[in-house]
Amino acid sequence: MTATFAQQEAPAGTGRGSGSGGPRPYRWSAWGFTAPGVLIVAVLLYLPFLWTTFLSFTRYNGLGSPEWAGLDNYQAMFSDPALLTSLRNTALWVAGTIIVPVGFGLLIAVLTYNMRFGAWFRLPFLIPYAISGVAVGVIWSFILQSGGALSQALDTVGVPGADSRWLLDAPLNTFVMILAAAWQASGVNALLFVIGLQSIPKEPVEAARVDGASGWRLFRSILWPMLRPLTTVVVGLSIVASLKTFDVVWVMTQGGPGRSSETLAITMYRETFVDSRYGLGGAVSVFLTVVTLTASIAYLRRQLSERKAL
Amino acid sequence: MKTSTKFAIASVAAGALLLTACGDDSDDDGDNTSGGGGAGGGEESVESSGTLSFYTDKAAWEPQFDRVSEVSEDEIGFDLDFTGYSDSDAYTAFIKQSFRTDEKPTLFTWHTGDKLGELVDEGLVAPTSEIWSEAISNGDIPADLEQYYTYDGEQYCVPLHVSYWVMYYNTHVFDEHGLQPPQTWDDLINIADTLAAEGVPAFYQTNILFSFVWFQTLLAGSDPDLYEALATGEASYTDPGVVAAMEQWREMMEAGYFSDPGAADDPQVLLNNGDVAMLNFGTFFTGALNELGMVSGEDYDLFVIPNVDPSLEQTSLIVESGPLCAAEEADDRAEALNYFDWWVTADAQSAWADARGDVSFNPGAEVNDERLADLGEQAGSDDVRLIERYFEATPPSVLTVALDEFGAFVTNPGDPMPHLEAIQAEAEAHWANQ
Repeated sequence: MTATFAQQEAPAGTGRGSGSGGPRPYRWSAWGFTAPGVLIVAVLLYLPFLWTTFLSFTRYNGLGSPEWAGLDNYQAMFSDPALLTSLRNTALWVAGTIIVPVGFGLLIAVLTYNMRFGAWFRLPFLIPYAISGVAVGVIWSFILQSGGALSQALDTVGVPGADSRWLLDAPLNTFVMILAAAWQASGVNALLFVIGLQSIPKEPVEAARVDGASGWRLFRSILWPMLRPLTTVVVGLSIVASLKTFDVVWVMTQGGPGRSSETLAITMYRETFVDSRYGLGGAVSVFLTVVTLTASIAYLRRQLSERKAL
Repeated sequence: MKTSTKFAIASVAAGALLLTACGDDSDDDGDNTSGGGGAGGGEESVESSGTLSFYTDKAAWEPQFDRVSEVSEDEIGFDLDFTGYSDSDAYTAFIKQSFRTDEKPTLFTWHTGDKLGELVDEGLVAPTSEIWSEAISNGDIPADLEQYYTYDGEQYCVPLHVSYWVMYYNTHVFDEHGLQPPQTWDDLINIADTLAAEGVPAFYQTNILFSFVWFQTLLAGSDPDLYEALATGEASYTDPGVVAAMEQWREMMEAGYFSDPGAADDPQVLLNNGDVAMLNFGTFFTGALNELGMVSGEDYDLFVIPNVDPSLEQTSLIVESGPLCAAEEADDRAEALNYFDWWVTADAQSAWADARGDVSFNPGAEVNDERLADLGEQAGSDDVRLIERYFEATPPSVLTVALDEFGAFVTNPGDPMPHLEAIQAEAEAHWANQ
């Protein structure tokens, strides 16, 4: 503290150029202002992650002290056939989330962004975004359960499929849950794409139109390439969101029946809180983090390097 | 603003946050007992009145706990500060974590079997041997229950409740089809056949959580010794007797006796609507039926499920008993144990049985529903063999796998062996570590 006060007494600006971060008193006050944020991030994000990583190398049931177990949890995780199912379902969620809500959002955006009253057409798609994932799960459970609203509707109009066991048969249950999640996410993706479309300069579009381009040709050659930066963001966010899919699945099937619709996030929760195997849950958590980071970094790197090449 | 002023503000803000983040509750001792005798926490200062914090995963039972709390306040000066969780997993994690804090749960509900054993091993729950010995000697608790609460010769916790697993049935559905409660297993199958022919599912079944119910009924009703040997690891899930029970279960599903295991409707609603004719459930379920306005003896009734094997000398009756525990290091531990002294009495249990509409573990408690009162007497007779519910009898790691496998089996009935082998693999891993 003595040193600190000594520095404060120095005239402002005298330290400029003496270091890379500006005058020393200024640097100290900058540290002071950033400290609360740094502290919050450290205490709420880094510490729990380090603790989880530590737990993943231990045997711990939530009571007493963790016992060191080396790589046992990782060995148990990779030798569990349920992890393969979980990985497969997570991959389905990633692919499904990119294809359905991103694709559907783009379609809504392209069809409505230039349309009169387009915002009113988009509004109904945006409303589901206002409710939580748990509420989405509850609503769709009533629709998709055996003998539920969908089965009754199909039965009433005489369309085949009324006997389908939407949430009981794998991988059908994962597919329908992806659609349920898409119902919520498509609207916000459409909104983001509309923002992207509206930020495209008018000149190249007009020039293309003068050259006779329209419809699909205009979209493929002009709009789509110019939407690229925003598509990168939307797809990147969707990948991360789908890798940690939890709420909709937990509410609708709890990962069942027989662990058939489990995702990695469900496996993590189940091992930790249902089975009280905190070490194994920690191992799944670390694995999920590695998968998410690897997928995100790989995707962004690829996109950015392609942009540079352009 | 001068740089020094900015620095001072920033330092104060950072310091305040650090203090907030690092502060513990060690100076809050006076707040966590609400007058329940927490001052000083010493065994010497036992309060004669106050409020005891009480945690449970039975959030839906809050009105019943409130009624009993009023009675206890009148009789012994202590009431309960109720905190209910509706998610059992979140509750389990909360209780475990609370033992690491200064806010130990004074009173809390838990599960018998290995789950209570975990807490006992860590010395986290208060022993109750004296309460048990006195309650058994004066007839407040049947001696049969002691085994479920005994670890290394000492008792822990007291029974919160006892429920027997019986068959509830919709009387209107039975009347409509001219059916009478069965005396034998064959009678029960005849009833199921009659209902199946009319397109009415005889029995409720689900693939989530309660997927074990029919496994325990079929195995305990055909070979109770084998059922109990499974729980202790002395028998294998691939034993012929277990396989036979699973095969029988599959045949019953194929015969159309069961409701859709994926239906998300509440079972009490299904029974009330006549969408299923019978429910294999614990007597705690009576409260759920009464809340729907169904009247015992008029809209619904119950019977003890006959043994699958008629040659067995005693009728297998599944029993579950949930414990009410006190934390060993709770500030008001002594008051909690005094509360237990009252809880096991006939007066307290009469109030509890009345509030819950259930049986009580205390034979002296008044049970208003005459069917439940008869059941309580029957359960204490020599004709009945009480068998611990699968949920508590099975080690937790094996139970988790078994619930999944039974859930998968009822969803897609087929060859039971892959399911039994999966459960057995987990059982072997569990018992190898014991």
